[in-house]
Amino acid sequence: MIGMREVAIVGAGITRFGVREASWRDLVQEAGKAVFDDVPNLDRKDIDSLFVGAAQPERWVFQTHVAPYVAELLGINVSRVISRTEVACASGQAAIRYAWLAVATGLSDIAMVVGVEKMNSKFMSVSQSSMINVGNREFDGVNGFTAPPFFAMVAQRHMHEFGTTSEQLAMIRVKNSYYGARNPYAQFQKEVTVEKVLGSRMVAPPLTLFDCSAITDGACALILASEERAREFTDTPVWILGGVQHVDSAHTTNQFGDLSHWVGLRKAANDLYSMLKISPEDIDMAEVHDCFTISEILEYEELGFCRKGEGGKFIEEGESYIGGKVAVNPGGGLLSNGHPLGATGVRQAWEMVMQFRGDVPKERYVDGAELGIAHNLSGMAQLHHIMAYSINKRKDLK
Amino acid sequence: MTSHTRRKLRLPDQIPLNPLLDLWDQQEPEGPDATRIYEFYRSLADGKLVTTKCMTCGRVHFPPLIVCPNCNGEDLEWVEIPEEGELYAFTELKLGAPIIVEDYAPFVIAVARFGDYPENGVQISGMMFDIGYEDLEIGERVRWEIMEIEGPGDKKRYWYCFTKV
Repeated sequence: MIGMREVAIVGAGITRFGVREASWRDLVQEAGKAVFDDVPNLDRKDIDSLFVGAAQPERWVFQTHVAPYVAELLGINVSRVISRTEVACASGQAAIRYAWLAVATGLSDIAMVVGVEKMNSKFMSVSQSSMINVGNREFDGVNGFTAPPFFAMVAQRHMHEFGTTSEQLAMIRVKNSYYGARNPYAQFQKEVTVEKVLGSRMVAPPLTLFDCSAITDGACALILASEERAREFTDTPVWILGGVQHVDSAHTTNQFGDLSHWVGLRKAANDLYSMLKISPEDIDMAEVHDCFTISEILEYEELGFCRKGEGGKFIEEGESYIGGKVAVNPGGGLLSNGHPLGATGVRQAWEMVMQFRGDVPKERYVDGAELGIAHNLSGMAQLHHIMAYSINKRKDLK
Repeated sequence: MTSHTRRKLRLPDQIPLNPLLDLWDQQEPEGPDATRIYEFYRSLADGKLVTTKCMTCGRVHFPPLIVCPNCNGEDLEWVEIPEEGELYAFTELKLGAPIIVEDYAPFVIAVARFGDYPENGVQISGMMFDIGYEDLEIGERVRWEIMEIEGPGDKKRYWYCFTKV
């Protein structure tokens, strides 16, 4: 970290998430317009680098080489770094991480990040079947082992070992739907009850339809700038304090080990905390990867918000609501926003920017927040990515 | 000279999507689709579920490999996976099954451990048919069983599934 420049998010723009009557490139243009409108002082000629988070455009819209296409659609000439990142569900945060690295090292001065995914089409069953390739296609996908069955087994093991209940899982959806109902960009803007979650259709026991995030279209874009340039564009820069990633040589069931412990997330969190010399108690808000309700429960534990095995109790006691120990998913999470794979990690950063600016309805505003983290996972929860965002620069961390 | 007939481009009636949706693809001993772990598939045809073990460091792999990712050794031996194992976790896929096995849904998907996992055994996923989520419990004994995959085309292919002991 020594010698690296401070990097800020100076602009953020998002599309409405959902089942959109819009093509992949429409979504890119919508998010591009939103971010350029957010930073009126920015001349797009000043953008020197572009990072595009996109998970499966080859399969869902049959387009490859998407980063130059995004550059064309947004009128950007890239003179430094252009890249498309793919790590499935975390393609978005990976794009932010590489943009941050480029600006921090001085390779780039102003970088753009675009996360996008178009998942809904009239070939829905083909789209869904393509999700099988996120795991090991030949040795797990072949058994129908896609995300819902995997996370269902995580839930089953967590219940088996720690006594976690379906009601506690449902409470995650209830909380995130409360905040999602106050997020005009979310796919689902209706509050739900525990009974409603438990009574929804069974997808893969113990997970019901409302325990799962949705198949979603959406895009989100950010502008990153070096400390030297940031104030030209905004009075409220959001500083990127750092980012970590961790994977333990695992892609196939044989390497998963114990499903109820996400060792990789614990290691990533510890890396982040020691890098920034902070502890979990210092975190005011967290956007975490609630692709399924059970995921958020494991994330409380592995991020150190509560003790191992007590994630169910943590939600039951309301500790992850605003006003509790830490505000988790005040933007409504993946459960409310939907999960357009490449856009999700970028949306999490967008939420941080809106929170720090105070640009959110008061029912979901984390008043006084100074430090936030975003956790984006990929695959069958082998790969974990965390970034820290703050209103303070790294050197000014208390 | 004017023509009011627009040019037509006639496309095939059907564009096959099999390569995208068929999950059982690499079972060829030779040619451009060949796999160097073909022995794995040949053994399935013979009624055996095997994998590779590194003779240099002793690591058991799954999936079978051609180079040991632990020690870089190439001296790998085919070993049989014990017929009976223990059910570690399971669910039943009721919604969103892959197209190619949609007709079989709902079916149970399980993770089971065979041998002394992780030191000298494997943890693998498998389908279970003619049984429901309510009929199973964590820790129960299961065994692997070889099944035949028929179609598309004439080639017969093989895979495994789990059954309750």
